[in-house]
Amino acid sequence: MTQRARILLVDDEVAIQRTVGPLLRSRGYEVDLAATGTEALDMFTQRTPGLVVLDLGLPDLEGTEVCRRIRERSPVPIIVLSARGSEADKVNALDLGADDYVTKPFGPEELLARIRVALRRVGGEESVETGLFRAGALTIDYDRRRVVRDETEIRLTPKEFELLSLLARNHDRVLTHKTILKEVWGPNAVEQPEHLWTLVAQLRKKIEPDPATPKYLVSEPWVGYRFVTETP
Amino acid sequence: MTSRVQGAVALLMLAGVTGLLVTLRISNGATISTMYLMVVLVVAATSRLWIAVATSFAAMLSLNYFFLPPVGTLRIADLHNWVALVAFLAVSLVASNLSAVARTRTDEAVGRRDELARLFDLSRDVLMMTESREALAILARSVALRFDLSFVAVAVPRGNDWDVYDAGPHSIPLDRRQLTTAFAAAQATLEFDAHARTYAGHRTMTVDGHEVRLVPLRVGTKPIGVLAAAGRPVEAGTLDTLAGVVAIAIERAHFLEERKTAELTRQSEQLKTALLASIGHDLRTPLTAIRVAATNITSPDFNADDRLGQRDLILSEVERLTHLFENILEMARLDAGAVAAEARWVHPSEIVAAAREQVEYLLRPHKLNIAIERDVPVRLDPRLTATAIAHLLENAGQYSPPGSAIDVSVRLSTEGLVIEIRDHGPGIPSNDLPHIFERFYRGSSAQARPSGTGMGLWIVRGLLAVEHGRVWAENCADGGARFTAVVPAAAKATESEIADIQ
Repeated sequence: MTQRARILLVDDEVAIQRTVGPLLRSRGYEVDLAATGTEALDMFTQRTPGLVVLDLGLPDLEGTEVCRRIRERSPVPIIVLSARGSEADKVNALDLGADDYVTKPFGPEELLARIRVALRRVGGEESVETGLFRAGALTIDYDRRRVVRDETEIRLTPKEFELLSLLARNHDRVLTHKTILKEVWGPNAVEQPEHLWTLVAQLRKKIEPDPATPKYLVSEPWVGYRFVTETP
Repeated sequence: MTSRVQGAVALLMLAGVTGLLVTLRISNGATISTMYLMVVLVVAATSRLWIAVATSFAAMLSLNYFFLPPVGTLRIADLHNWVALVAFLAVSLVASNLSAVARTRTDEAVGRRDELARLFDLSRDVLMMTESREALAILARSVALRFDLSFVAVAVPRGNDWDVYDAGPHSIPLDRRQLTTAFAAAQATLEFDAHARTYAGHRTMTVDGHEVRLVPLRVGTKPIGVLAAAGRPVEAGTLDTLAGVVAIAIERAHFLEERKTAELTRQSEQLKTALLASIGHDLRTPLTAIRVAATNITSPDFNADDRLGQRDLILSEVERLTHLFENILEMARLDAGAVAAEARWVHPSEIVAAAREQVEYLLRPHKLNIAIERDVPVRLDPRLTATAIAHLLENAGQYSPPGSAIDVSVRLSTEGLVIEIRDHGPGIPSNDLPHIFERFYRGSSAQARPSGTGMGLWIVRGLLAVEHGRVWAENCADGGARFTAVVPAAAKATESEIADIQ
């Protein structure tokens, strides 16, 4: 494995630092620790980590503010740690550029999988704008605007294709309802999620082997959708 | 002035005028009758109607006897004089009557003004009423006071019975059936009696020789109770108005009560939200840490030392969860009023030792100086006191740097056992000082501290309150915070001290 990525872990709880820190090190990552937002921003400049794990409840700065400032400087993947019930913070952080989130209390494998996916995305294998994208039995041809599943071409409307390619280009990453609405329908549609619900339902009927239990287009309740290429 | 005095004064005035006229030998008829008429008018303006009328007749007789020829007899020779005499009588009678009517009007106006003033005072009392539990009793007292009544009762139906709040020097037992009848009648009719200027439903009953008037209390047209009054006669119209004010006051009391309930509900909702927010965070972190550490322990990439470290971390996080759980439980018990003090004879040193034991693991980085002035048995609840002290020690430990000392001093005062806990940390920011004993209040500096729930000091205050004790905090002049707890307690002097006194 070429894992030697440097991770910046930002959490003010000593217990988290002393468990998650060693966990990440044991999996071959370099880990830097920060307990406050200011410290995190300093550390970010000094160490230029390849990924940031950021707790939203920090003593000095709002976690979302830290997220915004890091995003201003760099496209580094940010995984947010948040408490269940604070969906608003989570969505806010995602809208401000965070890539993913893990809800406390989380299991180690959950966090490790999210980190793996986020690092692979920036690894840049298929992050090209054109070409082919494959996930399981599904192939998306961005150039010809064609989708094929198990050798069978699936006919999509232009909107359906737009939605699918948006999610596929950001595969394994959560896109909030707001972000998707803005990208596909324009800024005026942000308050009309019903467009999105309908379109997702249509798209699932066409591409999912079993639309009732989606495999590719996974909902993140109250937050948004994720195109899944790997089951964590 | 009584009527007898008024009559005597009238007679004197008549005699005086007659004497004056006779002495001065005035014989002019116009002058004489004008003088007598003046006396009649003065009497009519100041006395009752019948005295004025009697004065009129007496004046007529004097005029006849002393001045109309033949003088010295009641006979009248001249027909002209007959006419003059009858005219005099008619004028004085009409004047008496007019004057009496005017006086009655004035008296009425004064009376009405007086009752208006009483009603005004009563309305003011009603508006000033804030305490809703005692409201109706206070209301009855106000009515009795403002209207000088010897008995007032405000009766409000409750189910099949009546809540009666009475006031005034007399205590008259009210027949509940009479109240029910009066109330039923008030519900049935709502007619305005134009003559009595009142609404229907007034009743009078006699209890133990007292005449008690019953007036329905109405809000709008709906009867809500009955007002009973005895003592001074009060005009029916005024009684009606009075009943209106009382009814509004009752409604107001109800509203106050409802608002209080709503306020309590809102506060308890707020509390629930704060509790969930506070506990939610404090539960998640240890749970996450334990889960990750449990995985780490079995990881082949960890060496023996790392594993021990992870194990210690699990233990301390479990400790933290246990502590949190105990706090929540203690808080719930205090909230439910399920904490009771059980006083026992115990040495202060035992209490401090018990408290210390509870928070041993937190105090390890600190140096504890304990000074007990007189370790003689005191009578108090050792468990509550020790738990309160333990929370104060925990607080001191968390808010002062590792290695710094915590001073505990215990002494006896006239108030009871006094426990002072002083740390050598940064002290309490002055803007936090008034709030630190509030539930879930976490000081501005507490954000930097990992494990505060905002429950500890609230629990301290709650525990001590159960023992009728109190606690307060202050900053010491030379730095650090000092918490003082006082627990009322009886103390036993030791045998040697008793010997000293003797």
